[in-house]
Amino acid sequence: MSNMNLTVNHNRSESGYSNNYSLLEMYGASDEEDKEEIDDHHQFDNVMEEIRANSLSSFVTPLNSQTIPKILSSDYDRYGFKKASLHQTITRKEYNEWFTDYSEYSLERMKKWKDLVNSSGIKYDDIPTRFPPKSDKTKKLIRRGIPSEWRGNAWFFYAGGYERLNKHVGVYDKIVKDTIGVKNKDTEAIERDLNRTFPDNIHFNNLPKDSKSVKDPKDIQDNDINNKPMIKSLRRVLVAFSHYQPQIGYCQSLNFLAGLLLLFMNEERAFWMLVILTERILPKVHSRDLDGVHIDQGVLMLCFKEYIPQLWNILGKNFEGEVISEDKILTKLPPVTLVTSSWFMSVFVGIIPIEAVLRIWDILWYEGSKTLFRFSLTICKYCLDNKTFKAKNDNDSGNTEFEQIEIFQFMQSYPKSLIDPNKIVDLCFKKIGGYGFGSISQDEINKCRIFVSKQRDKMKKKSLITNISEDERKMLNNDEIHDIYGFNRSIMNGVKWNNNISNKMKKRFSRKTSK
Amino acid sequence: MSDNNRFAQFKLVLLGESAVGKSSIVHRFVKNTFDNMRESTIGAAFLTQTITLPESNTTIKFEIWDTAGQERYKSLAPMYYRNANAALCVYDITSRSSFNKAQDWIKELKKQAPEGIVICLVGNKLDLENEREVDQQEVIEYVQELNQENDNVILSECSAKNGEGVLDIFNKIGRALPVEEVINGANNRSRQVGSRKPGVNLSRQQNQPQSSNCC
Repeated sequence: MSNMNLTVNHNRSESGYSNNYSLLEMYGASDEEDKEEIDDHHQFDNVMEEIRANSLSSFVTPLNSQTIPKILSSDYDRYGFKKASLHQTITRKEYNEWFTDYSEYSLERMKKWKDLVNSSGIKYDDIPTRFPPKSDKTKKLIRRGIPSEWRGNAWFFYAGGYERLNKHVGVYDKIVKDTIGVKNKDTEAIERDLNRTFPDNIHFNNLPKDSKSVKDPKDIQDNDINNKPMIKSLRRVLVAFSHYQPQIGYCQSLNFLAGLLLLFMNEERAFWMLVILTERILPKVHSRDLDGVHIDQGVLMLCFKEYIPQLWNILGKNFEGEVISEDKILTKLPPVTLVTSSWFMSVFVGIIPIEAVLRIWDILWYEGSKTLFRFSLTICKYCLDNKTFKAKNDNDSGNTEFEQIEIFQFMQSYPKSLIDPNKIVDLCFKKIGGYGFGSISQDEINKCRIFVSKQRDKMKKKSLITNISEDERKMLNNDEIHDIYGFNRSIMNGVKWNNNISNKMKKRFSRKTSK
Repeated sequence: MSDNNRFAQFKLVLLGESAVGKSSIVHRFVKNTFDNMRESTIGAAFLTQTITLPESNTTIKFEIWDTAGQERYKSLAPMYYRNANAALCVYDITSRSSFNKAQDWIKELKKQAPEGIVICLVGNKLDLENEREVDQQEVIEYVQELNQENDNVILSECSAKNGEGVLDIFNKIGRALPVEEVINGANNRSRQVGSRKPGVNLSRQQNQPQSSNCC
């Protein structure tokens, strides 16, 4: 049942999915509270104090005439990331050259946003908490970038954070309380990743300077004392999330998502944004079987085939260099999905430079999951258009795994050098001078996801996709495999999944099967 | 490149529990660098590095697939080790559970991976000897037992942090790989390229449907 319940439906009820924190449960559970030790209360009070102490701080350096020179002379950017080492392809000098222009652009953007907010009659002191309603004008402004000082609030507003928060007042604190001292597989995995989350960011990592001040050996023994408040926040958010969404628990990559959110908003909001992201924007992508990864990569491959056929001709091959036929796309995802799946899981964090990530996040919270597909296609096409890529594929020998891995390496390193976010956004949306991927609609992506998900369900029902061994598979001839995986004409004809793509697919299929 | 300098390319995957140091081993091998705090790997990372075996005058290029360690990523694992010629099953010598996990990977590989895959069991973090939880003798006995069943699991310990033993792993693997067969064209997974100039015919005839396993 859960497989059919593909979560592209934005209004899906939460209770079926999450640990149910009803108000009754929260305020009526006095019996349990009696049993709790005084120690726990103390611990809880301390934790709440920590949460409150952190809750007001945004970690973004605001831009103005005083801060810009400081940022330029620093080794770190305005978010605390090390300019040079995070993405080794960009030097500090290159960063500063870019930032000199981009800081001006950002100040100009801020003016535009202030104008829009003022003209919408929204009053605010420092940073608005409400934002202009969705409109073409707002969308245009979003695509040009939200000022970083406002990002946290704007993301939360457009993602529907207030609706969540208002329905679940106090729930985050309650979960934090419930999970104090909890130890399980998820918390173990979280612990291992805490210090492996943005090690190049000053807010996350202890620089040698800091650790010198810790002299008491008892303190050193207690690992946690060395941890920055941000690491403690990250731990609480991830542990609370793993408790609230047991179907997901903790999945590597959530650390980067939560971490980035925490640079822009407080813990409670970051928590709800993580819930929104994993429920509505990337359903099942982080689940225990990574089902959503397979689904979304299947969708992305269909998009490749449809919108960048040249790229599909190169990458739509199996390890033996044979082009994967239409009917097999979803059963055997091509190896390139090993590169692109992390783009979805970490929503581009660590894949492209941080400012470009933030610009995509601006659009993602406002426009939804189609954004991920649009930008994945953009980055892939941009790779394809690069000379180095062409050279790697020049001798038309990109047929084997060894040539493919050269291409994969390029697809992993090249995006890290794309320092200008405006370039990426323009490429994505501009019809002239760009790729015009803005034409890919959410409806198309939703239908595609349902289609792929249904196909996968059919395979699973035969329970062969996971259980069949390679040897058994070899013993079956191709036609039988065709049947087992549920790809045959009748099924294809029965599913109308995408007006743009399905007709073409059907034609090819009927041609093939009538032979 | 002289005529008797031979070249072969192999696919190598890294498997093992999260945070045992898979990426650190790769970065020590490929870039000779080490970061105390390395970001967790999401999905997979692709790198290449070349070694030369002087005694046979052979250059071996490793195509390295570094993978995420978390349990749930296992559903992607068959894509990783499909067609792999070699696998490093890495554990952390200071973590008992990571050794158990490495054993699971060896079992899994024997069931699912291509026949003849060269497996190397690697204990990392040798620099933390005083925190050792996995006894070397026990590992030796485990591997001896495995190898009685005609397996040929290589055993190694290393420290990605100080570099000790890292290159040794890849040299050992290089010597265990079926270089002769590859160069003589008996293997259609890995091939002799001879010269690495572009435009060389990369033996298209070897792209037969469903290539057999590597030996």
